Amino acid sequence: MSSNPSSSGGSVGGGGNCSGSAGGGGGGGPCGACKFLRRKCVPGCIFAPYFDSEQGAAHFAAVHKVFGASNVSKLLLHIPVHRRLDAVVTICFEAQARLRDPVYGCVAHIFALQQQVVNLQAELSYLQAHLSTLELPSPPPPPPPQTLIAPPPLSISDLPSASSVPATYDLSSLFEPMVTQSTSWAMQQRQIDPRQFGGTGGDLQALARELLHRQGSPQLPCTDASPSASPSPPQSLSK
Amino acid sequence: MSSGRCAACRYLRRKCTEDCILSPYFPSNNPQRFVSVHRIYGASNVSKLLLRLPIHVRAEAADSLYFEAQCRLEDPVHGCVGLVFMLQQQIQAAESQLVKTRVQIAVMKSQAQHPQPREAESSFNNPFLRHFDNDANLSFSNQISSGFI
Repeated sequence: MSSNPSSSGGSVGGGGNCSGSAGGGGGGGPCGACKFLRRKCVPGCIFAPYFDSEQGAAHFAAVHKVFGASNVSKLLLHIPVHRRLDAVVTICFEAQARLRDPVYGCVAHIFALQQQVVNLQAELSYLQAHLSTLELPSPPPPPPPQTLIAPPPLSISDLPSASSVPATYDLSSLFEPMVTQSTSWAMQQRQIDPRQFGGTGGDLQALARELLHRQGSPQLPCTDASPSASPSPPQSLSK
Repeated sequence: MSSGRCAACRYLRRKCTEDCILSPYFPSNNPQRFVSVHRIYGASNVSKLLLRLPIHVRAEAADSLYFEAQCRLEDPVHGCVGLVFMLQQQIQAAESQLVKTRVQIAVMKSQAQHPQPREAESSFNNPFLRHFDNDANLSFSNQISSGFI
């Protein structure tokens, strides 16, 4: 999986609008959202800071197809301005995931990761038990089986709720390679048709990198054309 | 004519037809389920998405949509992506702990196989230490003779 962000200008990010202001409709043309919707981009357009006129239209297309412009607009209006970029990143991530996997969407990632956690914890328990036996004058346990006992298949009802999520986490982990690896691993473990999970990450991760690259310099004018700079990890988020 | 509308049609205040796409997945006994999905995705988007899917997977799709909608309502900024972060952190913590445990096991096994690693080293394998070992032996023997040990 490519670890390099897209070299083109970030399509989503704070302050990336061509007019250099928070809204569109200036001399710089419509934002990506208004371009896609073929409407006039007015000053103060809620989408303008996050969807530029280049690749923003493509990303907004996915968001619009899954959520709808009106719903996303209402969602963003209820979020403080300083948190909206994060919200747009995750909304784009979910939209892309849903388009890739119309049945499970982002839940496929969660399933895969949860399976991985369960197996890692099982392996850890085994090794810790092994370690404790090494401290005792008794024969070591038999070697571990080639494959650990597979946990029961997860269902959506087994998933935790968003309220159980800690308050702080780093958006840069959105493009950790392990997401793709865990999905592949999960597919092997569960012996499920790979199409069910879909491809995870190349485009999603490139999107996340673009978004985060923008987040690293939210105040830069639209003339900022330094997408090749390595993205700096964003600050930890807090609710 | 059935008077029972599904939760979707009841919410949308429309007639629930026999071929209502949403009816199987949004029963009238759980109105909140459709409300959540509608607030995030909209009834039209949900209908289009389900229509594009084979019938045998629509239930799972509806469930996952509901789950994601609930996550987004609970955490408007991160939605269910927050769970992805949390699980990634758990994976990292577990992997880190696995590494530590494997190291501990390796150390324990090494100690069990070579209970006196210094003696074995100095005697034959390390000529540099052999020199000192000789001196140490002399020193040791001196200590013994002197009653120090």
